[in-house]
Amino acid sequence: MQRGFYFDQSRCTGCYACEIACRDWHDIQDTRVKWRRVTATEQGAYPDVQLSYISLSCLHCAEPACREACPADAIHKRESDGSMLVDADTCLGADACGACRSACPYNAPQFGPGPDAKMQMCDMCHERLEQGLQPVCVAACPMRALDCGDMDELQKKYGGCSEARGFACSTRTRPSIIIKPRYT
Amino acid sequence: MINPDSETVHLTSCPHDCGGRCVLKVHVQGGRVRRIETDDGPEPQLRACARGRAYRQRLYAEDRIRTPLRRTGKRGAGDFEPVSWDAALDEVAQRMLDIRQRCGNEAIMYIAYSGNTGTFLHSQLGVFRLLTLFGGFTPCWGSASFWGSLFSSEATYGTLVAGHTPDDMLNAKLILMWGWNPAETVQKTNTAWYLARAREQGAHIVAIDPRFTDSAAAFAREWIAIRPGTDTAMLIAMAHVMITENLYDRAFIEKYTSGFGQFKDYVLGVSDGTPKTPAWAAQITGVAEEKISALARLYASATPAKLLTLGAPGRSAFGEQFHRAAATLAAMTGNIGIYGGEPAGFGLAPVGLKPEAGTGLIARRMPGNLPEGARQRKAIHITKLWDAILTGKQGGYGADYKMAYITNANPVNQFMNSNRAAEALSSLEFVVVHEQVLTATARYADIVLPVNTHLERNDIIRPWQGGPYCIYMKQLVESLHASKSDLDICRALAPRLGIDAYGNMSDEEWLSEFWQEARDMTHGEELPDYDRFKEMGLHRMQRGKPAIAFEHLDAGRPFNTPSGKIEIYSSTIAERNDPQLPPIPTWIEPWEGPQASREGAYPLQLISTHSKRRIHSNMHTVAWLRDLEPHTVWINTLDAEARGIQNGDRVRVFNDRGAVLIQARVTGRIMPGVVSMGQGAWYRPDENGVDRGGCVNVLLNDTHSPAGAFCSNSCLVEIAREP
Repeated sequence: MQRGFYFDQSRCTGCYACEIACRDWHDIQDTRVKWRRVTATEQGAYPDVQLSYISLSCLHCAEPACREACPADAIHKRESDGSMLVDADTCLGADACGACRSACPYNAPQFGPGPDAKMQMCDMCHERLEQGLQPVCVAACPMRALDCGDMDELQKKYGGCSEARGFACSTRTRPSIIIKPRYT
Repeated sequence: MINPDSETVHLTSCPHDCGGRCVLKVHVQGGRVRRIETDDGPEPQLRACARGRAYRQRLYAEDRIRTPLRRTGKRGAGDFEPVSWDAALDEVAQRMLDIRQRCGNEAIMYIAYSGNTGTFLHSQLGVFRLLTLFGGFTPCWGSASFWGSLFSSEATYGTLVAGHTPDDMLNAKLILMWGWNPAETVQKTNTAWYLARAREQGAHIVAIDPRFTDSAAAFAREWIAIRPGTDTAMLIAMAHVMITENLYDRAFIEKYTSGFGQFKDYVLGVSDGTPKTPAWAAQITGVAEEKISALARLYASATPAKLLTLGAPGRSAFGEQFHRAAATLAAMTGNIGIYGGEPAGFGLAPVGLKPEAGTGLIARRMPGNLPEGARQRKAIHITKLWDAILTGKQGGYGADYKMAYITNANPVNQFMNSNRAAEALSSLEFVVVHEQVLTATARYADIVLPVNTHLERNDIIRPWQGGPYCIYMKQLVESLHASKSDLDICRALAPRLGIDAYGNMSDEEWLSEFWQEARDMTHGEELPDYDRFKEMGLHRMQRGKPAIAFEHLDAGRPFNTPSGKIEIYSSTIAERNDPQLPPIPTWIEPWEGPQASREGAYPLQLISTHSKRRIHSNMHTVAWLRDLEPHTVWINTLDAEARGIQNGDRVRVFNDRGAVLIQARVTGRIMPGVVSMGQGAWYRPDENGVDRGGCVNVLLNDTHSPAGAFCSNSCLVEIAREP
């Protein structure tokens, strides 16, 4: 089974509740570290302007480039659901390595300040999933624009689109996300 | 990791002034808040926004005031020394007694606003009670948010209960978001969610706004950019189309309204020689004639339809006219008293606790309270506080003011003309401020008294615009540092002021009594007893359908106006005999509006918006929220090019009242000739008096509309690139 995310971009108002909920739940005090990030894309000129937001975390790719790039074998996929798992003790750190950061097309691997900072990123709220709860970002979204589940199930429920403003689907890593775009 | 053995989870809410009232589920462990979740019960869940989710950082903020403070430097400099509670309270009491003896009670001004709102107990009312028992004071009146709407709703409908619950959005075929951006302002919890679902169900949504807002982008099929302050002209021209093309609901107008004839004469130009055609409005508003006609035809034909607005267009020089015109169009299209319609009045819905529940009870039950009339005659409008302090009796005010007592408010930052505010507070003999953090206002205090947050005390809260629920806000942690509640401060001050009637009731006794009284103040819903409610935390009143105003149009007397009808011609306004406040909805060119922008040194119209990273000036210093978006002034690409400004440049926004340094955001999301700033950034003047904090009120004109609206969207500025 591969677990992944669904994101309804047509609903997203850019309120940042998911980003802050993630920060609070995982106690990420440093604002330079973002497990989940909301970004805006503005296109066109007045008055024909278009605006969309996208909320992305680690996309728990089917073929994760970060894992491939890691020389220390510190990045794994959980067998149970394909979600990513980082072994901070094995990670070589930002300055010594940082290979995962360069490899990831989605800027998911995060490092705090300091030369020894270890890689960290979205763990799909593994502890919450184990308790039968949705990841905290999904449970937070005031627009109910996020979902999380088995990719096959999500595909059945929402269809297959994975291209949207602010997001290009990597055929190489095959990210586990389905996006309903605002503009088609 | 969660340790279920020692972590407890409690339900509470936020007491701030966004209009939403959401559920926070707070994890507490070892006496500290560890995490905050939101509603995970049955839908419709009351999910919190980023601000509520970031509350832990506010609770444990470095900048929480730790002890009472006494000023040591110049007012505004922010130099204070810590003092004991006894020393601080003794000084406050001694100065109050002295000022009362020398200058009378009226020399003491009480400035309070919406720092906590919708709560039963911990608001301004405890201080109001104290100062009243002290023999009275000079209060302030007015609303920075929506006075134009309040005034219009009372005049037109005879009530403020003139709105629908947001779930009724699903019944609408057409929604006009008129200067209304709930994706950022929230207004009512779940408003944006219902808008998204209405759009998905096929509702046609149009945004009429100078900016392409987050709401416009997410929900609207069409964006009509309109010059600030000209909305009334467009509405009146839409009425012209409906009248001349015979598209309005004659039966509804005849049966339920009065004064339509006078309005029609004005619209057609019978009374003043100027027909208010779409061509006439196009010149004023900047909206193409065809668009005005098309929107009029659409609104008249797509029933049921909602014209939704809250305060922004009415926060202008003659803002009440906008709301009066909007209500008139709601009547002309027959969208009153029907599901999916909307009266375009003040947005209270007939559901749950009525506004009088909770708020006002402490104040009302005081011995020695001044009669309402006597108080109001002396009250000063919130835009005139600085003028009153600086000019006193000579300026025509009721007293020469010597002292300001300020709680639940940051008026230097949030009321207009911050530089004048600084000058005014600096001129007083004594200023006392209750605060949680050292705001722009607190910096002008002689004594600052540290106040706790809603997580450190018990209270009850409900949505201030009506909603089928209320929340018990339980104290979750001990008061941090040396902070106390406003009420505890009053309890400690009362004996020092010679007041023995303040009462010995505990918070719990007050709350239980208020709850008992509130049980009779619902729109028919039953409330559980107090102990049961406390246990539940969230009490939801079950409803099978939306709550809508004026549902029973033919029963009794639905409109509490002198005529018993919807007053398009308002007899109460007519009695005022004020040429600036005509009894029918009327277009009046605003000061510092589009016409003035073409004539003077300040060609850009400035509007103040809400920011999603703070609630007014609350939470401005919370690092998690600051990180989300930079604080900027929006300027259209054409206006930026003409001034050599590039995106991200540091610019100076200025007029005769002051100057602000801020980062420019060059964007096609705002119309040419208009610039906007999010209100609430903290005023931080440098040695030259230039604000480096990005506080929009530095630029705003401290005056109000004829009816009392806060005219923050009638302001002209120029912008220059800062070298």
